[in-house]
Amino acid sequence: MTDMRRQFLLILIFMTIKALAIASNADTALVEHTSIGLQPMMEAIRNPALHGLAYKTSFSQLALGIDMQHQSRAFVPEKGNGYALPYLKVSTHHSLNERSTVWGEASYMTGKQHNVKWNSTSDYDLLQPYILADTLGGDTRRERYSVSGGYATSINRWLLGAEMLVRAEQEYRGHDPRMRGIVTDLTLRLGGGYDLGRYRLGAAVEGNIYKQTNSVAFYREEGVIPEYQMTGLGTEYSRFSGDKRSLYYDGGGMAVVLHASPIGQSGPYADVMLDEHRYHRKLAEYNSMPLTDLYNEHVGATIGWEKEKNHSLAVFGHIDYTKRTGNEHIGGTSDARYFPVIACLTMYKSHILETYAGALYGRGNWHINMTAGYREVSEEYVYPHRQMDAAHVYGRLQGQCFIRPSGKWLLTLNAHASYYANTSDKLQMPFANMDAAFTSLIQHKQQFAAANYTDFGAKVRADYALKHSRYGLFAEAGGAMTLCSASEHQTAFHCSIGITF
Amino acid sequence: MKHHILFLLPIALVMLLTACAPVEDDIFTTAHITVTGGDDVTVTSVQAQVKLINVNSRQVTTAADFDGVSATVELLRGAYQIDIEGVATCQSAENNIRMRQFRCQSDYVEFVGRDNNEVTLKIIFLD
Repeated sequence: MTDMRRQFLLILIFMTIKALAIASNADTALVEHTSIGLQPMMEAIRNPALHGLAYKTSFSQLALGIDMQHQSRAFVPEKGNGYALPYLKVSTHHSLNERSTVWGEASYMTGKQHNVKWNSTSDYDLLQPYILADTLGGDTRRERYSVSGGYATSINRWLLGAEMLVRAEQEYRGHDPRMRGIVTDLTLRLGGGYDLGRYRLGAAVEGNIYKQTNSVAFYREEGVIPEYQMTGLGTEYSRFSGDKRSLYYDGGGMAVVLHASPIGQSGPYADVMLDEHRYHRKLAEYNSMPLTDLYNEHVGATIGWEKEKNHSLAVFGHIDYTKRTGNEHIGGTSDARYFPVIACLTMYKSHILETYAGALYGRGNWHINMTAGYREVSEEYVYPHRQMDAAHVYGRLQGQCFIRPSGKWLLTLNAHASYYANTSDKLQMPFANMDAAFTSLIQHKQQFAAANYTDFGAKVRADYALKHSRYGLFAEAGGAMTLCSASEHQTAFHCSIGITF
Repeated sequence: MKHHILFLLPIALVMLLTACAPVEDDIFTTAHITVTGGDDVTVTSVQAQVKLINVNSRQVTTAADFDGVSATVELLRGAYQIDIEGVATCQSAENNIRMRQFRCQSDYVEFVGRDNNEVTLKIIFLD
């Protein structure tokens, strides 16, 4: 019996080593396109000229999947406590010849966002804190269409590329309060690059146009509740809150991405990104009276060193700084539903600083990525003074492994774990003068902003190559769990099936 | 084509650097509020409470420090509704001096200048 067990163990170890050995030679398109080894380059491939060179192989995929998440209590009330979002996505990266590449993606997503509260506007992360909100909320339905495509080519030492991304999204609720947000988002990127000796330099510009029409309707007259024009940290624009429920957002911005990296050799690399986006909130029912302007300014820089030979190694440091400034327009006396703007005051200020250092190491069929960082979020409403700050240090470990159990099968295993520890937090609010509902909202937000988080998860993908065909089938499933020190937790699940070609 | 992209980059950089958020940190101002008795009555001093309600945010600012017939209030720039209630020392055309209860009210006054916003309100006597 003991001999049999020993033999079984030896066979198992032998098969595992053999599978790993085969997988290490797996120079497939799938490995190249799904490897986390490209993560240090993700900033750079926002430049379409460099995107064209990011992959050597052509790869296309059609996937049907679902993303699900559930939180025992909403970590951010405005985003709800979970979602179930099925999607259909097709993506392709195709090398036309040695010099030119095209890529594209089209997707349709529809589903439900659960228990969204204090938010009747779509794209919360982009537009917060300047949203429309109510205390009731409820589930919302979401539907998103997105299309993107790009082209890159090289002429001697020059690289050129262009890319366009379009997103159309609507979010609505089928019962009171019947919120509706319809978003159109267009981004255009133009990029260039130049091979200077052993180095590749890249520069790209990006332009964005954003629009959202947003409204809330009530069908039951006796159930009408006020809709608040939120202005940050539990404040609202009282004069235009209540029954003013039709507005729109007009926005857009620009970005510049600069990059330098060694060509096919070891050496230092660097990325710098600057971007500025602004979003104007206007009241549709009062001759487009401007209510608030939000300015998002961001600068990010990465510096690292990479080695690509028998094994890949990269060490890197990154810093990100985002400044959000909110201006409130002061409406004068009305004249036939026209409100002149008599002043504009900067009332909301937010700073987000994130910095991390990390290392990525891999050998053909496996990669491991470690990062350690610091993140600080500070929000301030100038008068009456309100402030909410929180800072965390974190560590994150991520691993990926490709295993080929047989000639036709390829397994991709991904796992990650991270821990965010709160180092400081501060809350300053005029609670004595605040409405009970707003007090409760702020306390809820602060509780989760200042909590510690432990996150871990895993994902498995199985690919099967069809006989005598360039097509393959795949299935993917993954789950993750986040434990929050506020005695709450989050579970996430993802699965998809599809074909590769 | 490649030269066009090279030209685009500095233009975009300049646009980014000049497109910084327009910050208006001068959010407070000084309002000088004066009460007057009109043509028939001369008001020499008042003791009253001024209540200023911000029309947009509904925030309430109060003050009670009158210097003669004027009060100076530090407040957020904006449009206000003003209510004043108190007693005034009045001198009639016949030089009779007496204390009278009064109130002043205005539904809309703009205090949007960065400094020295002035407004004069006519007293309504309650007796």
